[in-house]
Amino acid sequence: MMAIRVFQVSKSYRYFQALREISFEVPPGSCYTLFGPNGAGKTTLLTILATLQRPSSGTIEILGHDGVKAREKIRPALFYVAHGSYLYDELDARENLRFALALYGKRVADRELKEALDRVGIGAFSDLRTRFYSAGMKKRLAVAKGILIRPKVLLLDEPYSSLDESGMAMVNDAIRELIDGGTAVFMATHNRTRSAEVANQAGLLRKGKLCPLGLEQLSGAHVIF
Amino acid sequence: MSFFNVIRWITWKDLISEFRNRENFSSMLFFALIVVLIFSFSFSMDQTSGREQIPGIIWVAFTFTGMIGLGKSFAAELHNDCLDSLQFSPAQKGAVFIGKFLANLLFLLFVELLLFPMFVLLFNLEVLEKLPTILVIFLGGSVGLSAVGTLFSAMTVQIRAREVMLPILLLPLAVPLIIGGVEATAGVLRGDPFLLYAHWIRLLFAFDVIFLVVSFWAFEWILDT
Repeated sequence: MMAIRVFQVSKSYRYFQALREISFEVPPGSCYTLFGPNGAGKTTLLTILATLQRPSSGTIEILGHDGVKAREKIRPALFYVAHGSYLYDELDARENLRFALALYGKRVADRELKEALDRVGIGAFSDLRTRFYSAGMKKRLAVAKGILIRPKVLLLDEPYSSLDESGMAMVNDAIRELIDGGTAVFMATHNRTRSAEVANQAGLLRKGKLCPLGLEQLSGAHVIF
Repeated sequence: MSFFNVIRWITWKDLISEFRNRENFSSMLFFALIVVLIFSFSFSMDQTSGREQIPGIIWVAFTFTGMIGLGKSFAAELHNDCLDSLQFSPAQKGAVFIGKFLANLLFLLFVELLLFPMFVLLFNLEVLEKLPTILVIFLGGSVGLSAVGTLFSAMTVQIRAREVMLPILLLPLAVPLIIGGVEATAGVLRGDPFLLYAHWIRLLFAFDVIFLVVSFWAFEWILDT
């Protein structure tokens, strides 16, 4: 069974067609990387996969469940790291993590929480309210959420943005660990070099249409868009 | 267990965030104080005329103060796209509603408890013996106002003119609550026998039940739309 199966999906707003008959599949334990210029429809596709929007036509299956009709069955297995950090400014890192885990019906020990924060490099700031965090620190905390929730399907929107080199390496380590545990990762990014380190499949989205890319096109000097 | 855990975390998150930044609470309290002071200077009240007018003034202050808090309840979730995380998380949306409702109710009751002594002092009310009944009436009005206000706060949060839309939607529905609250409070302050105004208290709690049940069921649809 595919973790993500997208078939002939289109999405149109009143005067604008954001996605045109997109189809692809992502098996469990693999990573699909999506590229595309700004406004190509990457975030639209991610929000549809995250069950935040419905497609205008076509079908989506996540772990064998219909992405529109069976959202309640999909959501426990899915986590989305988007542009927004999903952090509450007045809570500190630990409180934010505990809150996010509570929404997933999960509870972790203090030790596990500390390990996750240390791993993403913000252990020293765990008692600081996230309103004082930089964009990079917020991104690291979002990755810590993904590590602790351990979803079966992880959606990432620009996971490398705002991060320094060590942060990008940390994201890839986390992605590799999740993939090894059977998670299917779908990410939209502009960072070809970093994403090439973890991708098993790639695609280029341009004007709402998806074209498959060879992995060699990610690491080389090809201009893909 | 997870349902109640989500309620607990949502309420805790809202309360602790408010306790730490006091943005909502200070604007609610400031507004309420101004209303009380304006009315106290506008009417030269002796005991007799005060009893006729004060219930209306009290409920105007409570309703409009409540609307300030309710308007910000879901607007706070827009920051860092936290509303999206509530949407795609597997947490039951009914639990999210109850959590937000409880936090809003506690804010409102807290402001009312601070405000009521001001009314007592400025309008020279004798309420000591009637206090338990008055508190029950305040609770009845506040539960309904918070329930329907939480629902409409979620409904209008994505609208650009939400500050205008919330009162337009909320006030007509809150009219039975306000009338019930005013009549019951007037009965108590006049010193009427309980049976003469008991039906107004029953009306308040009947509307509480209706608003809570309808809002609970409608909330999931609203959050997902």
